Amino acid sequence: MPDPKSASTAYKPVMSRHWWLQHRYFQLYMLREATVLPLLFFIICLLYGLFSLSQGEVQWQSWLTFMATPWVVLLNLLAFSASLYHAKTFFELFPRVMPLAPAALMIVAQWLATFIVAAGLILLLGGWL
Amino acid sequence: MNKTISISRYNPEQDSQPQLQTYQVVSEHSTSVLDALLQVQQQDPSLSLRWSCRMAICGSCGVMINGIPKLGCKTFVRDYPEQLVISPLAHFAVEKDLIVDMSPFLQHLSAVKPYLINAEKSLQPHKQTPAQLAKYQQFANCINCGLCYSACPQFGLNPEFIGPAAITLAQRYNLDSRDQGKAVRMPQLNSKNGVWACTFVGFCSEVCPKKVDPAAAVNQGKVASASDFIISMFTP
Repeated sequence: MPDPKSASTAYKPVMSRHWWLQHRYFQLYMLREATVLPLLFFIICLLYGLFSLSQGEVQWQSWLTFMATPWVVLLNLLAFSASLYHAKTFFELFPRVMPLAPAALMIVAQWLATFIVAAGLILLLGGWL
Repeated sequence: MNKTISISRYNPEQDSQPQLQTYQVVSEHSTSVLDALLQVQQQDPSLSLRWSCRMAICGSCGVMINGIPKLGCKTFVRDYPEQLVISPLAHFAVEKDLIVDMSPFLQHLSAVKPYLINAEKSLQPHKQTPAQLAKYQQFANCINCGLCYSACPQFGLNPEFIGPAAITLAQRYNLDSRDQGKAVRMPQLNSKNGVWACTFVGFCSEVCPKKVDPAAAVNQGKVASASDFIISMFTP
């Protein structure tokens, strides 16, 4: 609560709706938060794929065709780069929230773990398919 | 070297809103923004500003410099070869010129009970190991300058948000081995205006002149708040 003595005469600044455009730091923050949008599209694609799998071969094939459409590929590439950017920001912030080891070490360890898990999954799924 | 600077002026008795006024100052290599402001005050004694120590200890000369919260004494005019615009700290009501009403900030600070709470009535000193000190030492370096509040869009949007410095101070005492007041502070941190109102923009830590990293403290507070909640589910 402001000081009642000054409340009547003090100038109260109003925050502009475009506050996040005023500084590069805020723009990057908004970009980080916006990475959820293309990821949302990817998750819908994935759920649609699972649903198609349960509906039999014809539906599955049509999902595969849908996934190969240029605009879908483009949006999913965007989702991929957005998730990499989000991962970068997350891996940098995490050591500050949970300071378990020196930050630089934790950042490297998180990227290593990501690549190992991703490579493992690709090998596993590649063998399975 | 002569330098033109713009200063936001607001006289509550005449103006409806602040406006920029330009001044000429003599800037040398070591001229700080605070030095420049004091030069302007020599030319125009009606300029109001807060300052005291001139060495980044007292935390009173915080202003927006080209839109970024900074301490006037720790910022040099030489680093602004283009324009230099000085305005009052953002997100606070402006009393006059560069003076803002800091009372919302001070109320949030006192709300988290930033002092040692310990029921033991012993005259002996409370001993602390270097490892116990290290847990909170970084968060104890805050000088209450309020720059982190001006950097925080969440505080700008919701002045009820306890904010970076107060939550950092709460963490500082919660992590102190001599303190027993965590249970009294947690309800404030758990509330909707506590740690969960932070979205980790992180600009507070960028502008902190003492490298306290309030964003880390607030988000460590989220871990503490979550574990406090889980523990409370299993305790009657």
